[in-house]
Amino acid sequence: MHRPTPFFLRLVTILLLAVAILLPPTSGASNIPPKSPDYPQGVSSINPGSDLWREVRQRDGLIVDGISQVKGVETGVLINVRGDQWARFRINEVTKTVSYALVGVFGILVLVFVLRGKVGIKGGRSGRVVRRFTDYERIVHWTLTIVFLFLAITGLILLLGRPLLLPLFGKEVFALFASASKEGHNLFGPLFLVSLLMMLFSFTRHNIYEKGDLGWLLKLGGLIGDGHPSVGFFNMGEKFWYWIVILIGLVVSISGLILVSPNFGQGRVIMEISHLVHVIGALVLMLGSLGHMYMGTIGIEGALQGMTSGYVDTNWADAHHDRWSRECQQKGLTLSADEFARLRGETPAADAEVAAQERAK
Amino acid sequence: MIEYLIDGPLWHLSLAVFGIGVVWKLGSIVFASRRQDLSVARAAAGPAAFKTVFSRFIPHKEISSQIVIPLVAGYMFHLGLFALLFFAVPHVSFLEQNLLGFGWTPMPHWAFIVSAQLAFLGLIILWLRRMTNPVSRLISTLDDHVVAILTFVVMLTGCFALLEGATALRLLHRFTVELWLIYFPFSALMHTFTFIPSRAFTGAWFGRRGIDA
Repeated sequence: MHRPTPFFLRLVTILLLAVAILLPPTSGASNIPPKSPDYPQGVSSINPGSDLWREVRQRDGLIVDGISQVKGVETGVLINVRGDQWARFRINEVTKTVSYALVGVFGILVLVFVLRGKVGIKGGRSGRVVRRFTDYERIVHWTLTIVFLFLAITGLILLLGRPLLLPLFGKEVFALFASASKEGHNLFGPLFLVSLLMMLFSFTRHNIYEKGDLGWLLKLGGLIGDGHPSVGFFNMGEKFWYWIVILIGLVVSISGLILVSPNFGQGRVIMEISHLVHVIGALVLMLGSLGHMYMGTIGIEGALQGMTSGYVDTNWADAHHDRWSRECQQKGLTLSADEFARLRGETPAADAEVAAQERAK
Repeated sequence: MIEYLIDGPLWHLSLAVFGIGVVWKLGSIVFASRRQDLSVARAAAGPAAFKTVFSRFIPHKEISSQIVIPLVAGYMFHLGLFALLFFAVPHVSFLEQNLLGFGWTPMPHWAFIVSAQLAFLGLIILWLRRMTNPVSRLISTLDDHVVAILTFVVMLTGCFALLEGATALRLLHRFTVELWLIYFPFSALMHTFTFIPSRAFTGAWFGRRGIDA
């Protein structure tokens, strides 16, 4: 009888092992005993934990309130699917809308500047000035400006940082930006409310509706019809902007306080609504601010001077706030260029001329 | 490397500059040669000096209505900063572990937030008042603005590092503190200490002449 050689045995063994390894594993179904006529549905092999986790994740849309030792709002909910939905809505929809709105308004302002350019002072600068804002009013305005700009920048980093900054700077640097922005935003938030109240108390008297405001509105500030409508201290557009700042600012502040203090019993839904209201309100303020900054700086010549020095040229006042300008001039509240220069600590032109003559002698 | 520099040599250097600078400045004021006061003493100078150091915390009635903004903002800023500096939790533990070897009860978180907001708002208003008031603007020097901005930056980086989770933010805050300490003796920040001899000298000078300063 022929005996197989050890080499042949080893080869067969290796081949069998290889086949065993390469063949797909046999399905569990093949191990299931054939269906019994008593149990036609067969035997379920579903993991018994699946039902538990389906309920925990609330995939069936049912809010399951569990029992927890921790007592508080929504402490019985282990995983809230709505939170995940909200996060996706915030990341996808809210950030896109805010980005498009900001870029769109910025583009419109660039277009307006290209088409219209800087609106000059009719008749040029007269050299005489009239006081427009007190020191306190300017302090209030710039305090609100500083706080608002800080909150806008940090808020935008928090909202748009993930899609915009993360790819640019990487995770580690973005984490620093985000952490710093969060702390800064939370700490400066209440200062915005305080600045807003300071503005409410100091500027409201100039922003009450008065005769002629409707006319300004109907003529859209002079865009429709002939001539510039007659205006007092503030025109209707400025008053409109003021009340937007105050009212929307209050809404943004209150929604911000709700967000920054999650320990007062507000649940997830209130937080989500507050978040959305906060973003929409802040967006309105940011878009309005872009327009306000444009008009106050490069849009209209001489406007910024009112907030930096407190005084405006009388020709600027005549052109933009004729009724108020007339009142001031009737009361003799204007200053000459030399008086204004002395007030600013600069050498008046007349003094400089005298000094030059003396030097010439 | 940067961490070692900021936590080590630069910290010790800034402390040395601060300490030696302040002592040197105060010494130069206290030991400066002065002309002998030949006026006849109508009252004791000492009590008047002591009284003036404290009485100047409240403005004279004649000018109080003119300085409401700097008065209120000044108190907000200085009290807020004092509370932050000596009673904020991270500062108390830092002083205990790195300088003093003992600590004290820090203020609660809500008090910290209130103090920080008072300090920030006060400083912003004080600086804006310096910029907007014609007289303050004229008498302000570059140093006054540098001091205000540097102090603001120190506070801001401290606020950024509040979470205490990122080493880079902590280092940024510590670095600005070190710059602040180095700049301190050469700037208007010295009023932290000099307000006492300054008021005392004024009080003594007037008190000797029988004037209620």
